[in-house]
Amino acid sequence: MSATVTARGDDPILGRSPRDRLPDRILQWGLTGLAIAILVLIAYFFYKLIDQSTPVFQQSGVFAFVFDNDWDPSKNIYGAWPLVVGTIVTSALALLLGVPVAVAAAIYVSELCPRPLRGPLTVVIDLLAAVPSVVYGLWGVFVLIPALRPVENWIGHTLSFVPFIGLPDDQTVAGPNYFIAGLILAIMILPITSAIAREVIATVPKEHKEAALALGATRWEMIRMSIIPYARPGIVGGAMLGLGRAIGETIAVTLVIGNAPVIGKNIWDQGYTLAAVIANEFGEAASDKLHTSALLAAGLVLFVLTLVINALARAVVNRRSERRMQVGAAA
Amino acid sequence: MTGAGATFAAPLYDQLGSEYKDQNGTSINYQSVGSGAGVAQFIADTVDYGASDVALKHDEVAQAQKRGTPLNIPVAFGAVTVAYNVPGINKGLKLDGPTVADIYLGDIKKWNDPALAKQNPGVKLPATNITVIHRSDGSGTTGQFTQFLVDYSPQWKKDVGTDKTVKWPVGTGARGNEGVAAAVKQTDGSIGYVELAYAVQNKFNTANVKNKAGNYVGPSLQSTSSAGDNLPNLPADLRFTAINSPNPQAYPIASATFALVYKDMCKAGKSKGEAQRTQGFLNYVLGQGQTSMREIQYASLPSGLASKAQAEASSMTCNGAALSASS
Amino acid sequence: MSALGPISTRRRLTDKTARTVVLIGAAIALIPLVLVLFYVLKRGLGAFLNVDFFTQDPSGRFLGNPGGIRSAILGTIEIVGLATIIAIPIGIGLALYLVEFGKNSLFARVVRYFVDVLSGVPSIVFGLFIYITLVVSGAISGFAGWKGSIALSLLMLPIVTRASEVVLNLVPNELREAALALGSPRWRVVARVVLPSALPGLVTGSLLAIARAAGETAPLLFTVLGAKALTLNLGDQMNSLPLQIFNDVREAQDRLVDRAWASALTLILMILILNVAARFVSRRNRFA
Repeated sequence: MSATVTARGDDPILGRSPRDRLPDRILQWGLTGLAIAILVLIAYFFYKLIDQSTPVFQQSGVFAFVFDNDWDPSKNIYGAWPLVVGTIVTSALALLLGVPVAVAAAIYVSELCPRPLRGPLTVVIDLLAAVPSVVYGLWGVFVLIPALRPVENWIGHTLSFVPFIGLPDDQTVAGPNYFIAGLILAIMILPITSAIAREVIATVPKEHKEAALALGATRWEMIRMSIIPYARPGIVGGAMLGLGRAIGETIAVTLVIGNAPVIGKNIWDQGYTLAAVIANEFGEAASDKLHTSALLAAGLVLFVLTLVINALARAVVNRRSERRMQVGAAA
Repeated sequence: MTGAGATFAAPLYDQLGSEYKDQNGTSINYQSVGSGAGVAQFIADTVDYGASDVALKHDEVAQAQKRGTPLNIPVAFGAVTVAYNVPGINKGLKLDGPTVADIYLGDIKKWNDPALAKQNPGVKLPATNITVIHRSDGSGTTGQFTQFLVDYSPQWKKDVGTDKTVKWPVGTGARGNEGVAAAVKQTDGSIGYVELAYAVQNKFNTANVKNKAGNYVGPSLQSTSSAGDNLPNLPADLRFTAINSPNPQAYPIASATFALVYKDMCKAGKSKGEAQRTQGFLNYVLGQGQTSMREIQYASLPSGLASKAQAEASSMTCNGAALSASS
Repeated sequence: MSALGPISTRRRLTDKTARTVVLIGAAIALIPLVLVLFYVLKRGLGAFLNVDFFTQDPSGRFLGNPGGIRSAILGTIEIVGLATIIAIPIGIGLALYLVEFGKNSLFARVVRYFVDVLSGVPSIVFGLFIYITLVVSGAISGFAGWKGSIALSLLMLPIVTRASEVVLNLVPNELREAALALGSPRWRVVARVVLPSALPGLVTGSLLAIARAAGETAPLLFTVLGAKALTLNLGDQMNSLPLQIFNDVREAQDRLVDRAWASALTLILMILILNVAARFVSRRNRFA
């Protein structure tokens, strides 16, 4: 420690003159002032968001905005339901495809992987987070879409009896669609979900694991009995954080979803999301008060969704960890 | 100086901007964000000039007037091609207005539909599905294309209408002319509408569209210029459209692309220097540019229109005083 | 937990199967990264051999030489640089307040909550906010590099604050108390004890925030808009790597798409360098 503190010897702290205490005061009030300023800024941010969204809510009401199935800017009709559905569908696909893989990777790295591989594997998975969203979009358009088209056609025609996945015989997959968007989102949430799952799995007390093994459980049974129940709330929390990310993702999605403001008939159809519509219609809306407010309202809906999900995630994680603490396990 | 708007005219402004910079030193920063955004940014005065392939609408003029008189200056003629990527079908597929409308309505789903076969006897049409590509951003190209469709399809007129952004019944949305071109290029069986320069650049097969006089005309420099001949009833503020021209040689989906500036840029909020540079560039586009634009398949303005456009550009002022253009 | 008997074949089989499934899952997790990097390298590396790629700006010429990405690289550095200068001090300052002074007071908890909430805002909404407040407002209307920086700094702020708060909390209280007991004034404790100890962690958090901001496109879309020619003036519209990629990705011309791949490679390399630096610094962290 290289702090050069002077021993003041017989000057008690309380005996210091106000002038000597001034720098402390400045620091405290300065930082407090900063905190207040940031708080005001953030509050202003939300205020502005809400305020500028009101025109479209005044026109048709919040309910109609969110649940009406008709997004038609040229006629000044703003029913965002197709966008909401698109957001939900792609995020659900992302969770369905991404969470199992993320959890499997986390389990593997934490429990089953040979020790020397642990570090590098972790780095590789975390590195997925370093790839910018626009690069995912680029890759999605030129690599994923052409490569998966035959696979998508095969799945759609083979499973034509399954709702939402089935494809009538004479239709083919066009290219961009909900599925590809969901898949790319799944890839994008992998690092964050896996990292949180890993952290949570690491907090499982050794005693639980050892107890299971001592009683003769196989490796997998130990994982199933000791780790997964313990880590489940954390994993759920991680999944929800990933969900929050997926919902707000704009650039990669708009490049691969097809940008059609209607509700598709199945996952091989084109769709739209709240975030993508903002990116695409932003520029044109500039001078149209109602259109701008509609886009801001879409942003607001998006943000409220994220807020709710993050709050739920926090609640889920905290509730179980409280209970854990009550049981006396080391947190 | 900065401009934003039509992707339709982006090759034009980029090319002429490059030439102008070589000549003059002023660099033109043109962002192709679509006509819709071009109009909006022009009205909001965040750029020096906006670019749109459809003239300012009535309410847009009213909005712009809050800052000053908007000038709607035609700079070139371009053609909206109907491009397709269907192995087996070569260039020059004959399509008429109602057929194109039906394709975009989703009523015609396959390339070997009877409506297409009827117009193209002797052409072997495959049974491939038609993938419709359209714009997802506010687009003057869309405006021109839908203007054409409205003239030939009562159902289109009723259900969808014409505007820079419409609610497309079917299809995939792409951003910009470039995006539509890319989507067409990447998707077998697709059809999309792109400006001629993009179609030529990517060697697309383009349709010969039936014009008002009953002839199937392919998009070319010549047929585009033809659309600009004998324009009837030009309004004084030059807010016109040449879609569906009656000239027998004209390509029916061709019209002018416009540069939007405030007559008094300084009053609107720009500096004198910005106003001068903008006028200088416009003078170049309306002068030397008219010749060089043919290289990239844009047709120059017919002489009557050209002089009116030049007059508009010259009428630009700064806080009332005439600008001496720095070109 | 009741004792489990000797391992039956069925249990052994389940164990093997389950472990294989998990292994497959982990392998699947690796595939995307490998594929992305593979294609980015494969299609982007070629352009690197041409020095023009880095020394020329995008020419915008429809026919002829498409130019390089010099303005994009420099633009990214400038825009992200300014965002960093804004966000890092404020973020660390905020974290300092929360850890040293606010602690668990009501006000501090409110601040913490608001910052947390800010971290969930989709990045496009930041761009929207800056657009309606700074771009279309009368006096300073227009697109500019610094406006994009402000949007990015809003994005970075929660990341920096949260990471810094975690790190500052890890500084053992004993250090603070020892310094105070020796008569050191509060500000000295912060400046000479807390900050130096936490420095590696603070740097790590900051580098990660910068890496995140460097890859963002959405906040720049309608705050900076974009440009082709090089400009070093943050008051102008500028180019930026994510914007350049976003524009090139929707092009039909192959050489423009190739430029997109090469730009992607450049951007990933820049972000990787920041990430590696962050990891390197964090290894020197005493308290992690």
